Amino acid sequence: MRGLHLLRRRRALLNCAPISQDHLADRSMRAAVAREDGSDEFVNQQNFDRAVAELIRLVPIPPESAEWFLEKQAVRRPKWTWRRIVLNPAVLAVSIALVVIAGVFALQVVGRLNDFPGSATARKLLVLAGSARSVTLDPVTAEAGTLSDLFFMKHGLEHYDVPDEFTEFRTIGCRVFDDDESQRIAQIWVAEKRMQFFLFPAERDSKTGAVLAFPGWRYVHQEGWVGAVSEHNGVCFMAALKGREKDLEPYLSKAKE
Amino acid sequence: MLGDSRKAQEVFNTMLREAAVHAAQGELPKEPFWLFREARWRCLEASKTDLQPEPLEIEEHDITSRAASQVKQLEPVQLAIWIAAAPEPQRTALALFYLDEFNYLEILDIAELKLSTLSRCLSQGRRQLQAWLDAKHTGVPEA
Repeated sequence: MRGLHLLRRRRALLNCAPISQDHLADRSMRAAVAREDGSDEFVNQQNFDRAVAELIRLVPIPPESAEWFLEKQAVRRPKWTWRRIVLNPAVLAVSIALVVIAGVFALQVVGRLNDFPGSATARKLLVLAGSARSVTLDPVTAEAGTLSDLFFMKHGLEHYDVPDEFTEFRTIGCRVFDDDESQRIAQIWVAEKRMQFFLFPAERDSKTGAVLAFPGWRYVHQEGWVGAVSEHNGVCFMAALKGREKDLEPYLSKAKE
Repeated sequence: MLGDSRKAQEVFNTMLREAAVHAAQGELPKEPFWLFREARWRCLEASKTDLQPEPLEIEEHDITSRAASQVKQLEPVQLAIWIAAAPEPQRTALALFYLDEFNYLEILDIAELKLSTLSRCLSQGRRQLQAWLDAKHTGVPEA
């Protein structure tokens, strides 16, 4: 039904197809003419129309009327102003697309600027933190700083130390697991703001095997979670909580004091 | 539209006067085609008292490849009279279309027609003109 309607409309448009290319008024007319261009029937129609229009131009006009039309257009077409160009739907669509592409590119560049060795693992662990439940951890009530010994003695994990800023936090539970790259990860859940700590091996140079160290604390963000990461003795520590950087800042500034 | 240069001149002068009065009073309509729409109505008024074409079944022929050369053999005034003799709204449609000054949307606006009506008027007009041309060139008496 809709196909028949479209066919009729196209036929109607072709019957009104302009004699001059300047009068291709809109997209539907341009499309109809482009589709039919070159067909015998349409070529005959156009030749016929041109011949009639040429003859019409030769119809004598009384001189007193004719002088009004010398070198003048009967219809003044609106000029293309900047406003019209900018408000043109095609120009608008392309501009919006370019802005979106530029925005995505800028976000990626900013993201890269904040990257540091181990940031990819840290982001994956933030996703894990978002879906973790405390029941999946072994219940341990102690000070976070004391768990280094547990990790070393029970799991053989050397230098899995909680930094001084977080050693006094009371823990709810902890566990050690392997991630998808077979790295040993230690996860600690503390009572304070339902914060989670992660300890994982620092990234190493693929050729020399040397630890890719970085100074101080670095932030990562993922799915509404924020993590503060530091590296020490080839092990990265990340304190993660749901929120923003400013929620973590007070804990990190303790060390500076 | 009128097939009569004297009447056309009168309508033209009237329209000029009207535009001048509007301009003097600072009341020129903002819509771009008011002058053409007004001129069309004045043409219709002026031809009201003329002999009106009878509603006849006019022969129609398909447009052929030789149509353009047939048209070129016509006198311009013959064609003007043929168009002026067409019934409304076909007359307006043909006159505005073959002036080649307006696109189809503008013609729809000026003549206050629907696309389907304009399309039918132009299509029938072409086919009827072709039939007339065929009759002229084969020496068959005109319908």
